Amino acid sequence: MSPDTVVYAARRIVTMNPSRPFATHVAVREGRIVAAGSEAEIAQFVPHGGIDMRFRDKVLLPGFVEGHSHIMEGMMWSLPYVGAFERRSPEGRAVAGVPDIDAIVARLREAEAAIADPNATLFAWGFDPLHIGGEKLTREALDRVSTTRPIMVLHASFHISVVNTLVLERTQLLHATDISGVVAGADGRASGELQGIAARLRAFRLVGNPLSELLTMADVQRYASSACVQGVTTITDLHNDLTDNTLELYRAATQQAEFGVRLVPALASATHPPDKAIEKIVGLRESGNDKLHYGIVKLVVDGSIQGFTARLRWPGYHNGAPNGLWYIAPEELPRLVDLYHRAGIQLHIHTNGDEATELALDAVEKAQTAHPRPDHRHTLQHCQMADAAQFRRMKALGMCVNLFANHVFYWGDSHYELTMGPERANRLDATGTAQRIGVPFSIHSDAPVTPLSPLFTAWCAVNRVSSSGRKLGAETEALSVEQALNAITIGAAYTLNLDHLIGSIETDKYADFAVLEQDPLTVAPETLKDVAVWGTVVGGVVKEAPRA
Amino acid sequence: MTMSAPIPFTVIGGFLGAGKTTLLNRLLSASTERCAVLVNDFGEINIDAALIQSHDGTTMSLTNGCVCCSIGTGFLDTLARLLDDIGRFDRVVIEASGVGDPWRIAEIALVEPSLRLDGVVVLADATRIATQCEDRHIGETVRNQFAKSDVVLLSKCDLASDSQREAACAVIGAIRPDVPIEPLSTLTPAHEAVFGRGRLARFRAEPVAETVDHEGGFRRWTYQRAGRFDRDRLAAAVHDLPGQLLRLKGICRVDGDDRAQVFQLVSRNWSLTPAGDATLDVAETIALAGVGTANLPSDHELDAILDRALTAAA
Repeated sequence: MSPDTVVYAARRIVTMNPSRPFATHVAVREGRIVAAGSEAEIAQFVPHGGIDMRFRDKVLLPGFVEGHSHIMEGMMWSLPYVGAFERRSPEGRAVAGVPDIDAIVARLREAEAAIADPNATLFAWGFDPLHIGGEKLTREALDRVSTTRPIMVLHASFHISVVNTLVLERTQLLHATDISGVVAGADGRASGELQGIAARLRAFRLVGNPLSELLTMADVQRYASSACVQGVTTITDLHNDLTDNTLELYRAATQQAEFGVRLVPALASATHPPDKAIEKIVGLRESGNDKLHYGIVKLVVDGSIQGFTARLRWPGYHNGAPNGLWYIAPEELPRLVDLYHRAGIQLHIHTNGDEATELALDAVEKAQTAHPRPDHRHTLQHCQMADAAQFRRMKALGMCVNLFANHVFYWGDSHYELTMGPERANRLDATGTAQRIGVPFSIHSDAPVTPLSPLFTAWCAVNRVSSSGRKLGAETEALSVEQALNAITIGAAYTLNLDHLIGSIETDKYADFAVLEQDPLTVAPETLKDVAVWGTVVGGVVKEAPRA
Repeated sequence: MTMSAPIPFTVIGGFLGAGKTTLLNRLLSASTERCAVLVNDFGEINIDAALIQSHDGTTMSLTNGCVCCSIGTGFLDTLARLLDDIGRFDRVVIEASGVGDPWRIAEIALVEPSLRLDGVVVLADATRIATQCEDRHIGETVRNQFAKSDVVLLSKCDLASDSQREAACAVIGAIRPDVPIEPLSTLTPAHEAVFGRGRLARFRAEPVAETVDHEGGFRRWTYQRAGRFDRDRLAAAVHDLPGQLLRLKGICRVDGDDRAQVFQLVSRNWSLTPAGDATLDVAETIALAGVGTANLPSDHELDAILDRALTAAA
């Protein structure tokens, strides 16, 4: 018994600890869990039965672990959102989707009116034509917002921008449709859609690049706030060049007692020669704290499936599009994997297409054969098209996988109709296969590409339904609710090599909880995404999510 | 910003291991211009230590005024900063990523008024390029790199067998019958091999000092005459040129046309196109430069074949 101990009573505690799966009380001391169990077992940890009853109507789960998201989620919310689906802001506000061009124009007009400086650029983010029936956003639509202020809308993928006529005129791109990234409209002049390096560089030079602004403390705080709103207590920043500015902000933020999330940044391998990257990661490991965990590296092997830049094996893209792009040369990959593997660093390898997955498996096999390393947990990220044979290889090699379950909802229809065709689209993000074969796995949002919300991600993996209502592998690849909750807690913790610290409610782990209004195990599985998040507890510090 | 003449912008492409970094190093070490070199990869450039004035991790400043930075993922940002300060430089050279498409980078010079595209130079490893072009995983990537190149430089010719070199020329020629393919030799100053190679850049057909390039295993041949070709007889003569001649390019006149013509021959395909450059109209001369395999017939024999195509008046 210690005076510092707090015992929380809850309607139910779902521990994700198989040896004690459910409880009603949990004792917390010094930010860690003393024990979880029944009232009779746990009351002894506080004198005179002084039990904290604030969660008596709530359901506690281990704090959710988002195994693949980006700090950009914190940066984007300073700009208006123009995606087709509802999304929750860091302030807890439900921002409605804008499902057609008129609604986008209306939202932008509102934002435009709020900017005092008439010359300042209006930026917005989150647009994807695939979500509004293929209708493209054009300069004409943006001219309805303003012909005197520069406007730039970033696609959900962040690889495409749409600008108004003013920007095209000032950059002299209006007639430059011979440049491959300047998309031509019906009149033969630029439509406003800019892709690729040259066109976007020219436009960013005029209006600035919101994606490369120096990270600020406000961005980091917004990221933490979004995490709290969604019940997330550990969040990755899975591709970062980790400049001195970023390192200092992460250090300062995570040392604040009230900072409400644990951060797991991954160094982007492409930003450093491998020897320098290894030196940096090894040095950073020592500089972490309870809420800051360095030590992993991210490699990006190919592009995206819906952008037709993922590398696919035979028979390639369903609509006959040419195969995608390598971001790391196939012969370079084994060398890089081997160097990090030997240095004892955990690799997180982005592979979207199955050809990229195959080469990553080959590279890990080679490294593991040359230099066997127990429990390396190298993790394939996204890995959306892997077949059963590839999952069996992951298992045999001791690898983990983090599947992009949200894709089933957001791009499932595109995958069925355009990119993969029926069979492969049905086994997209094959959570069922991973479960059957026994590959340790997690599921993720890749926020800000799709919304941060582990309960929504779990809903995707349980229901496997696209935004149009098409079921994809619902009979064969869907998870049970319990399996899905496992994937967003202890499963994700395992892929980050933090399962000894977080991911379940059991003795000695951090007191990290997601505080929910309903019990996800008793609601109808179709409504899993609607389970309300009250807030979080991180290291024993209670945080009620902001509501706006 | 004052409007000054656009700065020449050169892109060096080619797959991993093609020798881009080695070539860049040669360019930088010998440069008499203030070059800004951007490496779109994390590759470190090994510059002669005596030339390095300062090195802050990502940017290396050389004593001859050149600057070299590796840009990793911050490509757009690094390039934007360079363009903001472009007046400091006489030239910009970009080393494209080994898996990237150099043309996508070249297009920057087509949209930036402060730049002009000087050329897209793609390197190919003579010992491996034929295999790489057929590779299941990288074939498309490698082949696409040649799609818009102005010239292909064959590296590692000294290590390649005759059949490898021929296969290299054949495979590249099949993708781009119109593109010049040249051996990359340390005997040629790097800036001559790389700069001014664009289709819009002026063509030069100066006599070549060394006729036999022992290192590369290639032999050069230059043909210079006063006068003009007869178009029909030229067609017949070109047909008679030996297969060992890999490439022939230069300026000539044909009877019945007052304009200077650019003659190009690659892998048995040839073309004549009006030069469209007023400064070439000064002299009534034929000047062609060729490259062939080491067993190319003698200059005398080759000269005789083309002499048959000259008009009677010449």
